[in-house]
Amino acid sequence: MRVMRAEPGRFADISSRTVGAVWRAYDLQLTTYAALLGAVGLVMAYVNTVEAGQSALGNGSVFSRALLWSGLAIVVYLVATAFNYQWLKTFAWPIYGVNVGLLVLTMAIGDGVGGSARWVSIGPLTFQFSELAKILMIGVLAAYLGNREGKLDSLVAILGAVILIVPPWILVMLQPDLGTSLCLLAILAGMLFMSGASLIWLGAGAAAVVAAIPVIWARVLQPYQQQRILSFLNPAADTQGAGWQVQQAQIAVGAGGPLGVGLTNGAQANGQLLAVRESDFVFAVLAQELGFIGAVVVFLLFIALLWRVLVAAWRSKDSFGTLFGAGVASMLLFQVFVNVGMVVGIMPVTGIPLPFISHGGASLVSIALGLGVIQSVNIRQQRAQW
Amino acid sequence: MSEPYLLPHRERDRRPIRFVAFGLAMVMVFSLLTVRLGYLQITNGRTYATMAEANRSVTVAIPSSRGLIYDRKGRLLVANVASYAVRITPADLPWGQRDAVAAQLGALLSMQPSDVLATVDSATGSQFDPVTIKQDVPKVTADVISESVSQLPGVSVAIETRREYTTGTLMSHILGYTSQIDPATYARLRASGYLPDDAIGQAGLEASFESVLRGTYGQQVIERDATGKNLQVLKTTNPVQGASLTLTIDTTVQKEALRALQWGMKAAHLKRGVFIVMNPQTGEVLAMVSLPTYDDNLFAKGISQADFQKLATDKTQPLIDNSVQSQFAPGSTFKLVTGSGGLQDKKLTATSKIRTAAYITIAGTKFWDWNHQGWGMCNISCGFGNSSDTFFYQVATMLGSERLSYYAHAYGFGQPTGIDLPGEASGIIPSNQWKVSTFGQPMFAGETAQAGIGQGYVAVTPIQLINAYTALANGGKLYRPQIVETITGPDGQVIQPFKPDLIRQVPVSAANLRTMRLAARASVTIRHTYNLVDMPVKVAGKSGTAEFGIRDKLGRLPYHSWFVGWVNKDPTSADFTKTDSQLMFLAFAYSANTIGNAATEIAKDFLQIHYHIRHNYLIPALMVTGNFAGQG
Repeated sequence: MRVMRAEPGRFADISSRTVGAVWRAYDLQLTTYAALLGAVGLVMAYVNTVEAGQSALGNGSVFSRALLWSGLAIVVYLVATAFNYQWLKTFAWPIYGVNVGLLVLTMAIGDGVGGSARWVSIGPLTFQFSELAKILMIGVLAAYLGNREGKLDSLVAILGAVILIVPPWILVMLQPDLGTSLCLLAILAGMLFMSGASLIWLGAGAAAVVAAIPVIWARVLQPYQQQRILSFLNPAADTQGAGWQVQQAQIAVGAGGPLGVGLTNGAQANGQLLAVRESDFVFAVLAQELGFIGAVVVFLLFIALLWRVLVAAWRSKDSFGTLFGAGVASMLLFQVFVNVGMVVGIMPVTGIPLPFISHGGASLVSIALGLGVIQSVNIRQQRAQW
Repeated sequence: MSEPYLLPHRERDRRPIRFVAFGLAMVMVFSLLTVRLGYLQITNGRTYATMAEANRSVTVAIPSSRGLIYDRKGRLLVANVASYAVRITPADLPWGQRDAVAAQLGALLSMQPSDVLATVDSATGSQFDPVTIKQDVPKVTADVISESVSQLPGVSVAIETRREYTTGTLMSHILGYTSQIDPATYARLRASGYLPDDAIGQAGLEASFESVLRGTYGQQVIERDATGKNLQVLKTTNPVQGASLTLTIDTTVQKEALRALQWGMKAAHLKRGVFIVMNPQTGEVLAMVSLPTYDDNLFAKGISQADFQKLATDKTQPLIDNSVQSQFAPGSTFKLVTGSGGLQDKKLTATSKIRTAAYITIAGTKFWDWNHQGWGMCNISCGFGNSSDTFFYQVATMLGSERLSYYAHAYGFGQPTGIDLPGEASGIIPSNQWKVSTFGQPMFAGETAQAGIGQGYVAVTPIQLINAYTALANGGKLYRPQIVETITGPDGQVIQPFKPDLIRQVPVSAANLRTMRLAARASVTIRHTYNLVDMPVKVAGKSGTAEFGIRDKLGRLPYHSWFVGWVNKDPTSADFTKTDSQLMFLAFAYSANTIGNAATEIAKDFLQIHYHIRHNYLIPALMVTGNFAGQG
């Protein structure tokens, strides 16, 4: 049983335990919160389809595609749960290679608008590999940092993690996809922080990033990205483009009031004003139709889910599990903050989807994969002894 | 690695506090979002609800159909034809699909996608106002776009009407054209119901009768659903169709005038010319041609920048209507004013004679007669008929600059005639007051003498000149020249019938006007105008040669030539005591350095065409270029 040199003695852990023990380790709460958030996403997909004047189950409608993706996400989630996550440590480097390869493929054959390449068409469906890249990078970084326990006070280990993320980060920036690239940085920062790496080095790194902002502004950001940030800083100056969009989103949110205007009623009041309503600005529709109460319930679901992810990370007896959980939690928290923050006007428009709720199969399947791995960690671990 | 979790590491020791920190960050993030949400939804919910409600209904303008233009015989000059315009309604174009839509539309319309977006973004109206991306799109392209609207959110094909000028270049200066409103004009006129992509009259009658032709746009207040589909019409105000114009212009006469002018310009190698025909009894303009010209359909179809630059920078100024917008020295034709004034102020009588000579000397300067020898003792008929310069130098000197200016203004010079066309020039009639305000000095005697023969400072527009002579022909009634006969409402009801618009009775007695008419006839009969007298139609009139510009190497000046004349109601009648003329014509040839008077030849050609005269009276030798001392 100790054939695999990298992971001695871990193969038999499920087979050596009873079904009952596995079931007790399985976190039903995590599954429940994720399923509820997924259901909210389906409801919003339904609402947006109906409000667009299409039949809910019509061919290619937002709702029917969401159903399809949800089914796929459940399968991915179950498979990932059953799969022994320890293999991820073994295959970290191949996974990294596949990840970079998929992003290169996206650049090569990807579709997009105005010269960009963001998604790859697979039959009738399109897939954004940059979404998958986030989860794969969480796995790669968790394996890398987990292997370097005890060395994380050294700059070398921290720089190694930074260097690991640079190729996918550059590929994502080239697409160009500012949102995902920021998300990768947030994942890196969150995982380094949770790994227990020296705060001095992390602080120095953060200072370096801040110092690089002027260079990034001038050299890296596309004019439209600069425009979005400028219009965020001064929304009144741009009533046509992104600023107008943000203003309309706030009107929609505000119009919802405490109780909301009711599902499928929001669009009539504000409808055509809100572009990308089913993806980046979906929270505006949700907040308008379900009101403050509904939005807070969604917040609570996110908090509960994050709580269960953190609990799984806490309980994991190996660092991979802890760091993987930390990465997923960082990603979810960052995306919720930036997306909702954008809709309510406290963050600039960056095109980051709201987990579970924004329409987009790649995002949902990637999250399902991440949560499945965490569940796999749960059922193969006992409480960490530290 | 061997069982790392069994070994104590500083990292592991730090993790509990990092978990707590992460949890705190999480709580802070959600608190911040909740507080902001509460601010929007609970504190300001009412305000935003009102704003959202206001967004719900959309007001859409319903364009009215622009009035048509007919000639005096009811021939259609300006029609409305259907054309396809591709438009984008910014509010219906999802933010995330802008680039895709622009790329697809750009390919279909052979435009740069960036230009498509630039057009959308430069629109000044609200997000609900459709922005015209391209006008006059071929039907095939319009059909393709109409069929793929589901892939092109926000894009629509509108059937617009565009102006079609059925006579092409024939009446471009009269009719003008419409084109898309510019942002500055839109800002000024939006309150009166103009749309950001509206067409507006830019020149000619299209501009001066804009409010009449345009009608009143209607509007619909529409409730929309999520996709921008119209749910219901809350309120409709119907558009009121624009009124139609019937012009005083007779297309046949206009064509005759154009033919004569084109012949003359070709024969004498001219670049610019004018021919006007009027009815002296009413002030109606029957024909008005200014050359060179342009095709107003170019503008109606949306002129390209290159084409426009070509027209705007052309040295011969095809966009300028020389008949009303330009002013020139009138030369001897102005002797009408000097002669009428001299008679009326009793400086001379119908029979009194003045000595003419090769030159007269005023303040030490020699003022030559055009033939450099004079005609001896001359009465008004001899002076006007031979166009003696020394005769009129003396009359002008007797009158003085102020009386001369008074009579010039009485005949309508020095001020716009009030014809219904935009950009009319005033002309210049020098007086002491004018000279002082312009040059800071009073008029010199020599300048007054020069003004008496229509030279020096004097400048007139062709329409002013022909209108002054109509007053002579009709017995002293100076009418406002009119180009619009009637205005007819959409229901066919005449809104504004034609009425001659008398400006004033010229303050010259009927007897003195009669003397001047006979002098004008003498100009023809004494063969100052060569064989004009031989024509079967009997003409009275006055030719003129006006020097202008810069002397050539031999000290000669280039000159314009004029002829203005009329025939009686019965054109074969040579009795010019009558005041019943219904046909006055003016020919103007810019920089016509010909041996004879080019304008007179052009006028003769017009008469031959108009009256179907078989015999050819034209003298080609007179049209040969050869600068000589002007004939006067």
